[in-house]
Amino acid sequence: MTQTTMNDAGTVLIEAREIEKRYPNGVLGLKCASLSVRAGEVVVIVGPSGSGKSTLLRTFNGLESITGGEIVVDGHVLHQRSADLRALRQRVGMVFQQFNLFPHLTVLENLCLAPVKVLKLSAAQADERARALLAKVGLSNKSDCYPAQLSGGQQQRVAIARALAMQPAVILFDEPTSALDPEMVGEVLEVMKQLAIEGMTMCVVTHEMGFARAVADRVIFMDAGEILCEDAPDAFFGAPKHERLQSFLRQVL
Amino acid sequence: MSPSLSRWLWHAVAIALLTVLGGALYLASKRIDYTWRWERIPQYLISTEGDDQTAPFDGFVAVSEDGKQLSMTALRGAETVQFTGFSTIVAGNGDLVFEGDVIAKTDAVSAGPLLVGLWLTLKISALSLVFALLLGLIVGLGRVSKNPAARDLAAFYVEVIRGTPLLVQIFIVYFFIGTVLQLSAFAAGVVALAVFTGAYVAEIVRAGIEAVPKGQTEAAQSVGLSGVQIMRYVILPQATRRILPPLAGQSINLIKDSSLVSVMALTDLTKAGREVVSSTFSPFEVWFVVALMYLLLTGVLSVAVRRLEKRYAVQG
Ligand SMILES: Nc1ncnc2c1ncn2[C@@H]1O[C@H](COP(=O)(O)OP(=O)(O)OP(=O)(O)O)[C@@H](O)[C@H]1O
Ligand SMILES: [Mg+2]
Repeated sequence: MTQTTMNDAGTVLIEAREIEKRYPNGVLGLKCASLSVRAGEVVVIVGPSGSGKSTLLRTFNGLESITGGEIVVDGHVLHQRSADLRALRQRVGMVFQQFNLFPHLTVLENLCLAPVKVLKLSAAQADERARALLAKVGLSNKSDCYPAQLSGGQQQRVAIARALAMQPAVILFDEPTSALDPEMVGEVLEVMKQLAIEGMTMCVVTHEMGFARAVADRVIFMDAGEILCEDAPDAFFGAPKHERLQSFLRQVL
Repeated sequence: MSPSLSRWLWHAVAIALLTVLGGALYLASKRIDYTWRWERIPQYLISTEGDDQTAPFDGFVAVSEDGKQLSMTALRGAETVQFTGFSTIVAGNGDLVFEGDVIAKTDAVSAGPLLVGLWLTLKISALSLVFALLLGLIVGLGRVSKNPAARDLAAFYVEVIRGTPLLVQIFIVYFFIGTVLQLSAFAAGVVALAVFTGAYVAEIVRAGIEAVPKGQTEAAQSVGLSGVQIMRYVILPQATRRILPPLAGQSINLIKDSSLVSVMALTDLTKAGREVVSSTFSPFEVWFVVALMYLLLTGVLSVAVRRLEKRYAVQG
């Protein structure tokens, strides 16, 4: 496999083949899940709590190891015993439900840490890149604040900028708005929408069905560790094929 | 009653009780017919008694009329010697003195045995603390390491050290390891205290590291940082703030534990206290003063750490 250097639309960035995840306590988090994500695509994953959405997402950057199957992410092959995940992780950004900003660093330092330490950018280059990204997420004036001084919505936007600072090929979002007060959900979704328009490849686990409908190229429904169906948003919401999806949509819509 | 007034009242109650306690102590000492001789203590803190200048040979003393020059001429032979740096002349002009006799005193102000002991306690504590912190950091990292061998070794060390008395460890280091490696008593003391305290520091470090939320590691991994980088730039800086208060307590323990090195041939503050007691027969005064000096050390340390904590707490 060769690493894709350009995100030409259509190139397969993530290819998961029949992956299985059995947790050490025996719980089967994923069973026989297959999925491929092409460059420039926005894939939204929905499903009831405990259905394995986070598990699936976290296997894509090796935060969860898999116990069966194979994943190829941007040319890096992941299987049961993958050793060096660092090269892969530089290409795969992640945004967490709880933001997970580094509380002892300022916003700017949060953005510069990895570019300087991992990509070996000079301080000036990293600084320039970070400030441009902060402007993009509308937080230019917060560069010297500590995370605790920001609202949840602002923190999540910083977290997105931190992921972008590594110039990843794809960004994984695990319920990025679930920990936010309702009035802050919009600002984060707006940033994500903008990213999608710019052609960023994104995998998004979310309960925001409006976002899925408006932004997703494909929506995926998971239940009990399995991918039950996937479809374009119109068909997914308009004419749900699977019976369990129908009952799920009845509950959330 | 206003809350602040009642608070002051309770403070007054505490002071009153302490006063009663002090009074009881005083009365108790009366009953055993103890004579307090506080005036004997200062000379053991600061000694004004300088060195003696002694005659290097048998001979006659010559003192100038203004009393500023002191010299000696040998009894046999023509040898003469000029003395300098003395403050009081003990011998008289023309006296016949013999080798080793005191003929003058220099009255230099110098640290008394208790201050010298305090200095040694300070030195041995500070040096041990530095090594204990290093050792504790390394072992603490070993405790949370992914490598089972590192984890086992670290756990073994911590369990052995925490499961045996410090005094026994000091004896082992002094008599066994010290003899094998030819360590001085001071070096043996530093080793014993550092190894002992290091085990506790390791547990503090481990707890501090484990208290940093898992999400921090995951976020750091997701941006491609290496394990070492994650520890250095993300985990340890956050753990430091949690580690500092228990570490202060452990450092204070170290100062107090250092009194046990007095079983070796080391004149630390406690040993100095024992020596002074045997020459003054004033155990109460001496031990009170020694306790006060330990309190001074630990008090200064805890104030310093509180300052440090405040500085670290500034950020969110
Ligand atoms: N570390 C773990 N150890 C054991 N079991 C786990 C672990 N993490 C998740 N699981 C289990 O795996 C299954 C899938 O969990 P996962 O977190 O992926 O679900 P989810 O779809 O993200 O749910 P939610 O919407 O609540 O976030 C659940 O049954 C869960 O209990
Ligand atoms: Mg989840």
